[in-house]
Amino acid sequence: MPTVQDLPPIGGYEPIQWKRHLPSRGFRPKVWFGLLLGICSYGFYKTIQSIQERRELQREKVWARIHLMPLLQAETDRDLVRRHYSDKAIESKIMANVPGWDVNENVYNDGRFRSPTFSFADDK
Amino acid sequence: MSNTREPSTNYSIETVSSPLPKDIPHVDEIGATSAPLLSAAFFIGARCKPFNDDFMQCKSEKPGNGEIGCLKEGRRVTRCAASVLSDINKNCLDSFRLHWNCLEQNNHALKNCRKAEKLFNKCVFDKLNLTKTIPGVPEGETPIHLKEKPLYVPNVEDYDSKIAYKKAQAEGKI
Repeated sequence: MPTVQDLPPIGGYEPIQWKRHLPSRGFRPKVWFGLLLGICSYGFYKTIQSIQERRELQREKVWARIHLMPLLQAETDRDLVRRHYSDKAIESKIMANVPGWDVNENVYNDGRFRSPTFSFADDK
Repeated sequence: MSNTREPSTNYSIETVSSPLPKDIPHVDEIGATSAPLLSAAFFIGARCKPFNDDFMQCKSEKPGNGEIGCLKEGRRVTRCAASVLSDINKNCLDSFRLHWNCLEQNNHALKNCRKAEKLFNKCVFDKLNLTKTIPGVPEGETPIHLKEKPLYVPNVEDYDSKIAYKKAQAEGKI
């Protein structure tokens, strides 16, 4: 019995299909990248704009307070001075019988104004 | 367990009712609450800037003793601000009320009351010739209160000012 060798068919085998033949969907990668870039730039543009607007709103608020501060400070100062002199008056009344008591003498030596640290529930 | 506690200090009884000494001239306090003050702040700034600057300069020149040393400047500041408020009350009471009520209802955020503010600013400019200017606006930018389409808009427009704005628009006042 003659030896028979298994051989390829005449003309050779068909080429093996290793590549996928799927239809390519959507845009080209460059277009996707461009879209991404566009959306991101729009977002950043809006973000920066709103940050700037927020800053301006904040500045507006701060300037409103700057315009009001001297007014409020002046009112507070007057009240502190009033209480200061009121304390002095009360002190001089209480210490009237103590010889050598100087109401205007300060315990500090720097000549600074110190706001009243205590108050009377009844100053009669 | 409760989250609240009784205040340990009761400030309501801590009153010192004695007035200032006679030799310090009397000045009526401004007597306005925060919303009207905020509403009128830029006009107070526009008219009283010299007095305000004078007062603050005095305070910084007398460090630690400005309370007693700057009483005169302080009186001027208060008188000037009071004059602005009384002028506004005389001439633009309606739009002033509209604006500060809007501020009161809207968390004191100026961005929420632009319509009322436009009416108010226009009235004050026409009657008192005071303008709202925010110092230091970047070059080439519209000041925030004049922007036509701001990004930050109120969630709900204040009803009264919306109606008033529409009315003013229909009458061609704005």
